[in-house]
Amino acid sequence: MTGTELQMLLSGAWTTVWISAIAIVGGVPLGLVLGLGRVAGIPVLSQLLALYISIGRATPLVTLVLLLFVGLPVVGINIDAVTAGVLTLLLNTATFNAEIWRSVYQSFPRGQIEAAQAVGMQKGAIFRRIMLPQMSVAALPGLMNEATLLVKASPAIAVIGIVDLTRVTDRISARTYEPLPPIIAAGIIYMIIIAGMVRLQRVLEKRAAKWSA
Amino acid sequence: MDWDLITNSILFNPAEWEIVLNEWPRFMRGFSNTLTLFAVSVVGAFLLGAVIVNLMASRNPSVRAAGRVYVDGMRMLPFLIFAYLLYYGLPSLGIRMSAWTAGLLGLILYHAAYVAEILRGAWSQLPAGQTEAARAMGFHGPQLFLRIVLPQLVLGSAPILGNQLIYMLKDTAFLMIITVQDLTYAANSVQSMYFVPLQPFIVAIGLYWISTLAIEGLVFLVGRFARKRGLGRA
Amino acid sequence: MPDAVPALEARHISKTFGELEVLRDISLVVNPGDTISVLGPSGSGKSTMLRCLNFLETPDRGQVLLAGEPVGRRADGRLVSDKELAKSRARMGMVFQSFNLWPHFTVLQNVIEAPTKVLGLSKDEAVARAEGLLAKVGLADKRDVYPFALSGGQKQRVAIARALCMKPDVLLFDEPTSALDPELVGEVLAVMRDLAKEGMTMVVVTHEMGFARDVCDEVVFMDRGVVVEHAPPAEFFGNPKTERAQRFLSRYA
Repeated sequence: MTGTELQMLLSGAWTTVWISAIAIVGGVPLGLVLGLGRVAGIPVLSQLLALYISIGRATPLVTLVLLLFVGLPVVGINIDAVTAGVLTLLLNTATFNAEIWRSVYQSFPRGQIEAAQAVGMQKGAIFRRIMLPQMSVAALPGLMNEATLLVKASPAIAVIGIVDLTRVTDRISARTYEPLPPIIAAGIIYMIIIAGMVRLQRVLEKRAAKWSA
Repeated sequence: MDWDLITNSILFNPAEWEIVLNEWPRFMRGFSNTLTLFAVSVVGAFLLGAVIVNLMASRNPSVRAAGRVYVDGMRMLPFLIFAYLLYYGLPSLGIRMSAWTAGLLGLILYHAAYVAEILRGAWSQLPAGQTEAARAMGFHGPQLFLRIVLPQLVLGSAPILGNQLIYMLKDTAFLMIITVQDLTYAANSVQSMYFVPLQPFIVAIGLYWISTLAIEGLVFLVGRFARKRGLGRA
Repeated sequence: MPDAVPALEARHISKTFGELEVLRDISLVVNPGDTISVLGPSGSGKSTMLRCLNFLETPDRGQVLLAGEPVGRRADGRLVSDKELAKSRARMGMVFQSFNLWPHFTVLQNVIEAPTKVLGLSKDEAVARAEGLLAKVGLADKRDVYPFALSGGQKQRVAIARALCMKPDVLLFDEPTSALDPELVGEVLAVMRDLAKEGMTMVVVTHEMGFARDVCDEVVFMDRGVVVEHAPPAEFFGNPKTERAQRFLSRYA
């Protein structure tokens, strides 16, 4: 591989990183909204969300990205490949995050909420001040784990022509006629990205847990 | 978003649904390929995973390290890049496989690492006294593992293994990128042949969903059986 | 003070959980400055009664009045808004069996959270008030510690300081010593004894017969969801009128 090809590889890596990053950063709060909506007990909405989450969990990303990229224009939403890719990853990770948030919400100790009610705090303040900080720490391992799964599933967007870290190996081997080196290089870069995320998770967990024994 | 268009093109356009219906055999071929890939790779990944977890529990430190490196390495890779390696990369070394073989082998090798890690987690929860008791009764080697340890690992980690099964099912869809003719491949061909962009994928997602529900149902039954025997998480 | 408005009053409270009738027509009057202990076997409904006073449980029927003003439910029977209920609750402190400190806050943050966020005190004011109270419960040196590092008795004393920092009109205690190791019970009871002496109005659900006998102005004895006896401690402990109370005392006192 020459300098140009190395540059192509890095630009593919950058595409993977920023598209995944947007999906992760957006998918955490979106998952929170979906997860809370599911347990809110609002009649039709909660059931619809449960159905959406159940289907979302079962849908392969390759299938979903094709559906969005090919299907949405037909119903009057024009969407370019990158937007379809980001949207796919975002919707997918949000469904998994919704389940993580739901489970930490449901296992939140009742007594702490009662203590907050007893001193006159209202729902919004109780959620913001008492529940959310602790739920975030409890959800952190699950959310980070899901984030690494997202990066590992992100090559699905290559199917609609986005030149990410996986697809760029095709481009490079079309020039060099040697597919093995770029594939191995891409694999190593993926490993570095995932290892970095696992590292970050440990640092965050350590910092977040200063108040637990 | 144009709702009229949505209802016209998805729900009330019999012509487009007729195309899907006419192409039903194609969907079923794709679906049966997906299920075959899934079933074979589940069995393969499970057997290989059981071997690898034994490597990780070996008394020989270099064998242990090799198991660890394999498992951690796979867990840091996307499945698709590994499939690329097998299908596009290995021919450079003179190893050629059909897309189907490469895909199947990829699924097995990749998910075996995940299965091994799940089994290792369950094994570390198992009281040491049990295997000692079994040893005292003369069990040893593969017999000890297969008859005493493995059933407990599987029952004890049923929910997590179930999740892994769902990931395996979904990962089969990646293989359409290396030209394996699975369910998503079938949906995409129908889409591009007749330009009916929505229905084929909705059908495909429906079939994936039904399969996932079936897996979840099965896992639920195994989990209930396990709890009756006092194994696994309540 | 027969003419004074009671600090807290419950009128004809009833509550069922599904089929089970846990409270039947409970009435209670707490005069300002009084300490009332609520005794009874487990399952008698005494904790549920206490939790109905600040509407942590919503009573099915009946009224709660705080200094004469309705709590939780308007005179016409409709439930009040979340905001209005919060206002009433801010005037009643509550101490729980399991402390329920917020683990992500330090001791000081636990104590000043509601005064700053609910009462709108400035941080300086709240901290000054909190430091005084922490000194009073003997934990001035623990202000920057997180709850996990405290013993059960220390946690409960922080919980009392947290409740006091709101300057409540009434303090409710829900079995405050039941989750403590025996050797830690004394330090919490001592704080409660001081509060009673200072004229704090308190309702204490407890199994501590000594505390009920020595500190309280009145004893309410409950069994199977009803108030069976209601008397000054000397009378209740010396001469229980009902057979149920006699049986209870022979077992616990």
